[in-house]
Amino acid sequence: MAIINGCELPENLLYYLEGNQMTWIRVEGELATVGLTDPAQTRAGKILHVRMRSPGTQRESNKPLATIESGKWAGPVMSPVAGVVEKVNEKLDATPSLINEDPYGEGWISQIRFSNQAQLSSLLKGGEALKRYQEILTRENIRCIRCQK
Amino acid sequence: MVEVSSPEGKKMLFVMTTGPEDPEKTYAPLYTAALSAAMEVDTSMYFLMHAPKLLKKGAAEQVKLKKGGTLKQFIDMAMQNGVKFYVCEESLVDLCEIRPDELVEGVKVVGSSTLTDLALDADSVVSF
Repeated sequence: MAIINGCELPENLLYYLEGNQMTWIRVEGELATVGLTDPAQTRAGKILHVRMRSPGTQRESNKPLATIESGKWAGPVMSPVAGVVEKVNEKLDATPSLINEDPYGEGWISQIRFSNQAQLSSLLKGGEALKRYQEILTRENIRCIRCQK
Repeated sequence: MVEVSSPEGKKMLFVMTTGPEDPEKTYAPLYTAALSAAMEVDTSMYFLMHAPKLLKKGAAEQVKLKKGGTLKQFIDMAMQNGVKFYVCEESLVDLCEIRPDELVEGVKVVGSSTLTDLALDADSVVSF
């Protein structure tokens, strides 16, 4: 686990950093699980509502999988790959702050069955991802904090 | 709770009249518009009366909010999410006494008739 500016960034995940997106992706077979990274949940603040695209929804890459609302931030969680929504984290309906408390675990958002393995090559991993995060966290002066359960 | 299953492709127009004289009334319209755009709704904002003052370079940074931060973060968020910004030229020049070249990037200066066009073209209009 790498830690930059107090932000946890697991090295075994893929990362999507297009536009203002800061999401992680865990790939198992043809399924990609997506969530917000520690810096993303910190930037958003305590999340009050999550609206997720239903299972079965076809998504192109860089189209919203979900919309996140906090008191100070409102924005989309973009799909890092094209595919069909397989499953969503229904626990977030009642407890959206799981994203703040456990962003890489119980706070996952959506799972996509992706259509093309080649798309994964555009996602960042390892040292390349950490280098980009270092730049972003310094530029935006983000220091991570976690809401407690 | 009402939840539209497919908001994408619809159009919303937010009409903004409040300026920096009432800071606590400035951010909710931008927040709501940003959220609307994040839901893939084609979202526009039309600034008239005192509202164009918020878009003068450096002005939003001076609008301090009780919840912390400034209005700048809400303008940036709305723009990042794809909200289109229109400013009424008559309000801008005559009432607010601001030149178009004093506005932040990404704002389009238009005439009053554009408000009619945008309103008639939208699926829904919300006025603040």
